[in-house]
Amino acid sequence: MKKIGIPRGLFYYYYYPLYKTFFTDLGARAILSSPTTRITVDRGIDAAVDETCFPIKVYFGHVKELCKYELDYLFVPRLVSIENRSYICPKFMGVPDMIRASFTSLPPLIDITVDLSRSDRDFKDQVLKTGRLFTKKSSRIQDAYEHGKQELEYCKHIASQGYTMAEAINIWEGQDIRQQRDGSLRIGVLGHGYSLYDEAISMNIIGRLREMGCTVVLPESLSLEQVEQEAASMPKRIFWTLGRKMVGSALKMEKMPDIDGIIYVACFGCGPDSFIGEIIERKVNDKAYMLIVIDEHTGEGGLVTRLEAFCDMLKRRRRQQVEDHISAYG
Amino acid sequence: MSYYLGVDIGSVSSNFVLVDEAANVVGKIYMRTEGNPVKAVKEGYKQVMEGIDDEQIIGVGTTGSGRHLADIILGADVVKNEITAHAVAASSFYPDVRTIIEIGGQDSKMIILQDAIVSDFAMNTVCAAGTGSFLDQQASRLNILIQDFGPTALKSKQAVRIAGRCGVFAESDMIHKQQMGYPIEDILMGLCEALVRNYLNNVGKGKKIETPVIFQGGVAANAGLKKAFEKILQMEIKVPPYYDVMGALGAAILAREYIEQYRRATVFKGDSFIIDGQFHSRSFECKGCPNMCEVVCIKRDQEVLAYWGDRCKTWETSIGHQEVI
Repeated sequence: MKKIGIPRGLFYYYYYPLYKTFFTDLGARAILSSPTTRITVDRGIDAAVDETCFPIKVYFGHVKELCKYELDYLFVPRLVSIENRSYICPKFMGVPDMIRASFTSLPPLIDITVDLSRSDRDFKDQVLKTGRLFTKKSSRIQDAYEHGKQELEYCKHIASQGYTMAEAINIWEGQDIRQQRDGSLRIGVLGHGYSLYDEAISMNIIGRLREMGCTVVLPESLSLEQVEQEAASMPKRIFWTLGRKMVGSALKMEKMPDIDGIIYVACFGCGPDSFIGEIIERKVNDKAYMLIVIDEHTGEGGLVTRLEAFCDMLKRRRRQQVEDHISAYG
Repeated sequence: MSYYLGVDIGSVSSNFVLVDEAANVVGKIYMRTEGNPVKAVKEGYKQVMEGIDDEQIIGVGTTGSGRHLADIILGADVVKNEITAHAVAASSFYPDVRTIIEIGGQDSKMIILQDAIVSDFAMNTVCAAGTGSFLDQQASRLNILIQDFGPTALKSKQAVRIAGRCGVFAESDMIHKQQMGYPIEDILMGLCEALVRNYLNNVGKGKKIETPVIFQGGVAANAGLKKAFEKILQMEIKVPPYYDVMGALGAAILAREYIEQYRRATVFKGDSFIIDGQFHSRSFECKGCPNMCEVVCIKRDQEVLAYWGDRCKTWETSIGHQEVI
């Protein structure tokens, strides 16, 4: 059985069920790197180019871990675009090349190009090319891909019930994760999945909010159509897939009466985020909004202070709204 | 007489305030943390308690980045973040305050209030440029005492333009100007204006600043900065009487609110615990998993009081200590 390494980073958080199902159906075994730890981070910072963003550095750490295993292939797709007329951050385009340049002994890379910006014809060829490493039958490859897409949809469905994509993937894998009770505050939390759902990168911001008694509302729980509709209200179409999703989600959350406030988690070195965080800050006027910028730091004090102050503010505001309501109608 | 004690352990200064039952300030201590918050808590406590019996303390509140540490040593009824503490303190003096500018050692914040409730706030992001420690550093580089910084800057007739985008740029810009022969007061005033521009762009971006504006935090002692704020904002800026200990004052007021509202007895530990014991902190790398968390251990003599810093909370919960949020 052929073994394929999949780093637990970047678009793992959006596509892993598809990757795994595809390779498993073709008779291969997907080997996933372990959850991010400080060792992963140290390895990544060591190996990666200095000027990339933190999540890419962490991805390098995962690649490094996978290099220890005897793999037949390492799956590091070159993501250019995952939908029509939209793009992923340009740094992602170069990831397979950067990996080749940074590591000396690598298993053969499967670095197919995913570019759906104009049509899906090339992409279909790329899927077939990948599948042919394991089987000659095109129909089997096609079936595996379709099955993978179904599994991915199922996983997204799990996430839509209030789980992070990381949790949804674990549930999809058969783990039992209990949903927490409804908190007193509902906070919309936005950010790129690969930083937000990686507990080490985001310093477990979602877990911390939940511990403080908040229910966290994530973009995955919103309807895609509504998010796109909100994003379309921008004067110019945002051509970054994730950026558009974040702006649309923020505008949607702003209109949801049960959401008390919105937090955006951005990475320090992220080019698109430097725009998107700012755009959201300017557009969201009717709800409390906080931008949190993260990078390599592990000192949690600053983060905790901000989260606490944000929750305090929302609680005090809400208490006052209740009082106003009573005095106005009582 | 009974008193409430408020303690603010910041990165640069540690502040202690005693208020009476009507929330009047009866004692305050402002001292440097000097990188040793454990010692600062003990020293400051001794100083602020001079002439006061520990039985007279009926409530304790802590705030600042060292608030949990202070809680372990003193026993606090309320452990609150700095934003809330500063806002509470400012609105106790100025109930109609709309904007609070707070610049401390490592943090700078802007708090927007409406009807005495925080409606928005911002803190500096990853960078600590333009905060008190930067001013400290520059003052010592120019060989002037930080106390003389403000008065010297006020003598300036024409402030020098200094890049305020980043502390490193500001420093190199300053060195160039200094070597070209600009007088020191103009450089200092230029630095104040650069800091204010940086603050307004970085922390205050997009926020609507309305009067009354209150300027507090240790840096508010610097009259040059107050003047620079007034010049750039074209507004009157007020500096409250206890500007340097507002966090501690807020913590004391919050402790008073809490004790009165819930009619609780304080968990304050008292002199014998605080003064007689030797407190140590040490840190170690947990080898339990590849996360290798840096765990901090706080001990009083031989007894372990608290652990923190571990992501899985194995250490933290091992002695039944619960983090107060």
